[in-house]
Amino acid sequence: MVEIVFLIPFLTGIVAFVLPGKGRTLLVLTGAVHLILSLMLWTGWPEPVFPAYFAVTPEGLLSLIVISLLFFLISIYTTAYLKKSNLRSENIFTGSMLLFLSTMTMVTLSDHIMVMWIAIEATTLASAPLIFTHRTATSLEATWKYVLICSVGIALALLGSVLITLAMDVGNVHVPVSFSALTNSARQLDPLWLKAGFVFILVGYGTKMGLAPMHTWLPDAHSEAPSPASALLSGVLLNCAYLGIFKTHKIMIAAGLESFSGRILMVFGLISMLAAATFILKQTEYKRLLAYSSIENMGIIAFGTGVGGLGAYGAILCLIHHSLIKSSLFLTSGNILLAFGSRLIEDTGGLVRRMPRTFIAFFCGFIGIAGLPPFGIFIGELLIVMGAFSNGHYVGAGIFIVSLCVIFAGFTNHALKISFEGYRTAVRMEEIASMVWPQYTLLLTSLFLCFWVPDILSRTITQAVTVIGGVF
Amino acid sequence: MTHLVDTVLSIVLLSILLSFGSSRLPVLIRVIGFQGIVVSIVPLLIGHNLSASGIAFNLVTLLIRGIVIPLSIYLAIKKVAIRREVEPIFGQHASMLAWLGLIAAAAFIGDRFNLPAISNHVLLMPTAIALLAGGMFVLMGHRNAIAMVLGYIMMENGIYLVGTTFSTSVHHIVEFGILLDVLAGVMIMAVILQNIKQQFDGVDTSLLRTLKE
Repeated sequence: MVEIVFLIPFLTGIVAFVLPGKGRTLLVLTGAVHLILSLMLWTGWPEPVFPAYFAVTPEGLLSLIVISLLFFLISIYTTAYLKKSNLRSENIFTGSMLLFLSTMTMVTLSDHIMVMWIAIEATTLASAPLIFTHRTATSLEATWKYVLICSVGIALALLGSVLITLAMDVGNVHVPVSFSALTNSARQLDPLWLKAGFVFILVGYGTKMGLAPMHTWLPDAHSEAPSPASALLSGVLLNCAYLGIFKTHKIMIAAGLESFSGRILMVFGLISMLAAATFILKQTEYKRLLAYSSIENMGIIAFGTGVGGLGAYGAILCLIHHSLIKSSLFLTSGNILLAFGSRLIEDTGGLVRRMPRTFIAFFCGFIGIAGLPPFGIFIGELLIVMGAFSNGHYVGAGIFIVSLCVIFAGFTNHALKISFEGYRTAVRMEEIASMVWPQYTLLLTSLFLCFWVPDILSRTITQAVTVIGGVF
Repeated sequence: MTHLVDTVLSIVLLSILLSFGSSRLPVLIRVIGFQGIVVSIVPLLIGHNLSASGIAFNLVTLLIRGIVIPLSIYLAIKKVAIRREVEPIFGQHASMLAWLGLIAAAAFIGDRFNLPAISNHVLLMPTAIALLAGGMFVLMGHRNAIAMVLGYIMMENGIYLVGTTFSTSVHHIVEFGILLDVLAGVMIMAVILQNIKQQFDGVDTSLLRTLKE
C-alpha cells in the first residue's frame, strides 16, 4: 500500500483547512508519520495498489526520503515560526503545506507519464497559497507570476507527454504509458516524436525546476513566501520537477538518443549557472540571493545529468546535499528576517554577535552551498567536473568552473557582510532553540553523508544512475 | 462525419481570428467557451471513444471546458466590475497578419506529419497547432491579466485536442485528473485576479512591475 504515503498528508491537509487551531500539531504529527512511512518504503519496496500509475523507483525513493526528512524538520521550525509571526489565516498556510507535501510525495511515486504531470501541476496549485501568505502587493505579484509562468510551462510539459504517447502510437508500441515500461521498450519508439516530446518536457518541467531562461518566477516566489515555505520550495519542489526530466532522460538514453538529450541538458545547465552568476554578483536581498543560488545548483544538476557517467552520480549527490543545505539556509533567513525586519542585505550585519547560534547555521550553510569541503556539494561538483573532462566536454567544464568561481566570489562578499559587518556595535538578540536546531540537523546530515554513505543509500544512487552510465 | 469534423474545426480556426482582433473580454470568453465545446466533442465525432464511459467522460469534459471554466472567468470579471475593454499590444492589422501567418504555418507543419490515426481529418493537426500557438499569442499580446488567463486556456484546449484525438493510449481516469488540475488552476487564477483587482485597482499587468530586475 504505497499510496498511503501521499494519502495521509492529503487527508490531514483537508482537516487542517477546516479545523483552525489544530494546524501546527497536525503539521508535526503528519511530518513524523510521513517520515516513518518513507523509511518503511526503503526497507521493503512494497507493491503499489495501482501499479499502472505508481511505482517505487530508486530515484523516487531518494527524493522521497529527502522530502520527508526536510518536511519533518521544517514542520518543527514552522510551529515556532508561526508563534512569532502572526499570520492572518494560519489554517490556509498549514493546510497548504500538508497538501503540498502530499502532491510532492505523489510526484516521487508516480510512474505513469500523465500522473506525473498531474502531480507536478498539483504541486503548483498547492503551493500558490503559500507564496500569497503575507497578502502584500509584492507577494500577490509573485504568486501571479508563479501560477501563470509555471502553468504555461507545465502545459508545454503536458504537450511533451502527449508527444511521447504519439511516439508509442507511431512506433506501434503497446505497453502501459509509464516511465518504466517505456524505458524497457524505448528502442521501438519513434525517435522523431520522442525527441520532440523530450524538448517540450524539458522546457516545461525546466520552468518549474528553475532552469534559465525560464526561471523568472523563482526569485520572486522564493523571496516572497514565508521562510518555511521557501525552504520547501527550494529544497524539494525543484527536485520534483527535476525527477520528471530525469525519468524522461532515462527513456532517451534507453532509446539511444543520449547525445541529443544530454547536450540540451548541458546547455540549459550552463545557461542557468551563467544567469545565476550575473544576478548573484549585484544582489541586494539575501532571500533572492539564496533563490539565485538555487538556480545555480539546478544548473549544476542539469549539467551533471547531461554529462552522464561520474557526472550523473555527482548530480544526484548535489541534488541531495543542495536540498539539505539550501533548506537550512532558507530557514536561517527566516530568523534573520524576524530579527532585522528587512530583506535587504544592507540592513543586516554583525550576525556573529547579534545571533551567534543563527550565525553558525548561516555560515556553515554558506560554506556548504558555496561548494567547499567538508560538505557534500563539493564532492558532487568535483565528480561532475571529472565526468565532464573524462567525457571530453572541455568547453562545458571550463564554463562550469568559471561560473562556480564567479558565484563563489559574489556569495562570499554578501555572506561576509551579513555575518561580520558592524559587529562591534551589535547587541545580542533572543534566539529560540527550535528555530535553530532543525538547521543544525540538516547541516549535520549533509556533513555525515560525506564521510559515511550508508550502504543502502549508495546502492540506491547507483541503481538510479546505472542507465546514465553512472557506475564506477 | 468527416465533413462535419472539418467544418467545425474550420469555425474554430476562424474563432482564433476573432480572439486576436477583439478588444472586448466577453467576446474572448465566448470564443474560449466555444473552442472548449468543440475540442470536447471532436473525439466523439471521430469515433475514438464510443463506449458508455467514453461518452460520459466527454460530456463531463464538455461541461467543464465549455461551461464551467468560461463561466468562472466571466463571474470573476463581473464580481469585481473590471472594464470590459482591453487594449492588445499588437494592433488589429498586425493581429490579422499574425493570424494568416499562423494558419499558413500550422497547415504547413500539420501537413508534414503523417499520422495514420487522423489521416481522414486534414484540419485536425493544423487546428491543434493553431490553438496552441494562438493561445501563446493571446497570452503574450495582452497586458490585461484576464486576457492572459484566457490565452492559457486556449493553449490548454489545443493540447487537449492533440491528446485525445491523436493518441488513444491514455485512460479516462488520467484524463480526468488532468482536467481537474486545469480546472483548479483556472479557479486559482480567478481568485488571484480578484485580489489583483482589489490591490491595484485594475488588472493591467504593467502595474505588476515591482519585482523586476
